[in-house]
Amino acid sequence: MNPALQRARKRQMVIFLLVCSGMVLLLGRLYYWQVLQSHGGYNLAQQASEEHTQNITLYAPRGIIYDSQGRVLATNVVRDDVYVEPHQFSIDHPVNPQDDLDHLLQALRQVLPQLSEERLRADFATDAGAIRIAVRIDPAQSQALERLRLPDVFLYPRTWRVYPGGTLAAQILGYVMQSDTTSQGMYGVEGQYNQLLAGQPGSSTVETDLQGNPLTVGINTQQQPVNGADITLTIDSDVEYMVESYLAQAVQDLQAQSGAVVVLNAKTGAVVALAGYPTFDPNRYGQYYNQTGCLHTEQVYFNPALYCAYEPGSTMKAVTMAAALDQGLITPDTTLEDHGCITYSDAPEVCNWQDTPYNTETMTQVLIHSANVGASYVAHDILGVNRYYPYLERFGFGQTVGIDGPEMAGYYRQPCGHGWSPCSKDWSMSDLTRQAFGQSILATPLQMAQAYEAIANGGVMMQPYLVAAITKDGHVTTTQPTVKRRVISQQAALLLTGMLRQAAVLGFAQLAQVPGYSVAAKTGTATTQGISADQTEASVAGFIPASNPQFVILVKLDRPQKHIYGSTAAAPLWGAIAQQLVWDYGVPPDLQQ
Amino acid sequence: MNGQRRSRNGLRQQGGGARRLAGRWWAAGGRRRLAPLFLRIGPVALCLCSVLLISLMAILYLSQLGQAVTTNQQIQDLRNQQVELQRENNDLVNTISQEQSPAYIADRARRMGLVPANPQGVQVIVVQGTQGNREQP
Repeated sequence: MNPALQRARKRQMVIFLLVCSGMVLLLGRLYYWQVLQSHGGYNLAQQASEEHTQNITLYAPRGIIYDSQGRVLATNVVRDDVYVEPHQFSIDHPVNPQDDLDHLLQALRQVLPQLSEERLRADFATDAGAIRIAVRIDPAQSQALERLRLPDVFLYPRTWRVYPGGTLAAQILGYVMQSDTTSQGMYGVEGQYNQLLAGQPGSSTVETDLQGNPLTVGINTQQQPVNGADITLTIDSDVEYMVESYLAQAVQDLQAQSGAVVVLNAKTGAVVALAGYPTFDPNRYGQYYNQTGCLHTEQVYFNPALYCAYEPGSTMKAVTMAAALDQGLITPDTTLEDHGCITYSDAPEVCNWQDTPYNTETMTQVLIHSANVGASYVAHDILGVNRYYPYLERFGFGQTVGIDGPEMAGYYRQPCGHGWSPCSKDWSMSDLTRQAFGQSILATPLQMAQAYEAIANGGVMMQPYLVAAITKDGHVTTTQPTVKRRVISQQAALLLTGMLRQAAVLGFAQLAQVPGYSVAAKTGTATTQGISADQTEASVAGFIPASNPQFVILVKLDRPQKHIYGSTAAAPLWGAIAQQLVWDYGVPPDLQQ
Repeated sequence: MNGQRRSRNGLRQQGGGARRLAGRWWAAGGRRRLAPLFLRIGPVALCLCSVLLISLMAILYLSQLGQAVTTNQQIQDLRNQQVELQRENNDLVNTISQEQSPAYIADRARRMGLVPANPQGVQVIVVQGTQGNREQP
């Protein structure tokens, strides 16, 4: 063979071998990265996947809460948090970082003057990936920052719960406690219906471009979020505001410690208003953490109408009369001899206020005079244990009402050996004679309102309710008024209504009168053993118009100082609320002037 | 050789036309004709055609991809717009609700010089057989 050709062949062979060995090396390296290291060690496959796919949590918007007129009580807004990226800033500005930082801080502080320069400099001195420097900035500030397009500064939107009415119905609504990733309803409707309102977050896995924008092509799996349900309450904002305003004014004017008002629809049991004072602003709930209501026994977030049990005092006499009337043991004209005090062989003496004797008085007059003697006489001498306690149970005392939200059951002692549960071994006849006029029994304002609602509704107790409708995924579930039970006969209810009308006109509830309307109401002034007798809980319970009851109203003021009695402290407030109610709802007057 | 034998066997089984075509193929001295459908096409032309075809496919693919990217951008813009509009809507709902709230209305009324009606000054006239005009909750 030609030597030149031979050399050429050799060169070709060398080149061929070099190429082959290069290929082998490359294949080996490829095998190392693609096979050996793809799932172990660096986990390259996962890293590559993470580089261009993104898992996004799709937050479900929390449901909106409306009042009965469709006005928004609680809704959501989106506000931005501001973050800076110190680590990225140090990479982006290797030369003259101080000058660039000065410019950046100046621009930031022009939009967000509340930011401290020292704090910002300290933040940028760290090597952190991202630091939040401001929370929930105003929309105008967000727009200004977006226009500036500041490097290494970004906005992160977050949804916040807002209550457009401020303190309006705060103790009914509760509030939402929010962290960076979760929100939790607390107290009231927000707490009770948290799961329903919150909905369920969804998730999305998408391929993204270099800027992190999701691509329409490639992997795209999505689990849609389930929006929170909207809730419509039975509350009327106008009435609620009126009641809250009047209550706040009364508490301040009378220098009371606290107060509560309940307004129920007499026919359906729907809650029209439920007010407490002091109250709070759910938009700034954190500022109220050390404030208390309900005679300083509970935090201000609790609804006192549901959670502040008290001795109802003389308003309880209507229940005692109801029990006796229903069993046909008395009529409104049944008489007794009232010498100011009554003595019992098995119980301590019971006396009227200031031991006032009323001599021969009818049962109606017992209510007009608010005579303790008459009430305890009915409970002890006419009803007795066996015929009295079943009625306390029927009227719902000692049991939760079953309305939405945390609620106190109240308490009263009843004797053992009758099959009643719970019973108290400490019970004595003294409990019976005092419970007849509202001592030795604890009831919430809502329980008392419920008892009067039964009287107003012809002896039929309706289930009080606060949620009128729940709208979820377009389906509306409406709450229908529900009969709880018949408590007394219609005849007994009518007779008692007549007695309460007389008590309102001729008795201590005269300041609760509304021109043009008949009122059935009873005042109560309760004192607590162990404290001064002038530290009272003044209340009025009743309904309007008495001839065709539309609204049941209960007013309670805790420890009023200027006027201490139900007749002088609570009755004017009851009358003002009742008057506004009948005007607002266009209830026709039933009395000729 | 086996292949040839199989081919000849195969040709025998076919008609006369097929036999003539096979004859031409052998007559060409085993020169391989790569062009389908009996088109006479040389290697250069084949290369050019392939390049053209691949280019065409690439152009089509790239234009499709370009359209997808553009559409993706449009979708992103629309999504951003939707988010922004939802945000504005939430703000407007909140503003309307604030301004509809009784406290706000009462405050505005006071600022305008209005005062609450005095209940003492209201004259109630009873008209028999009338009904309430507002639905109760």
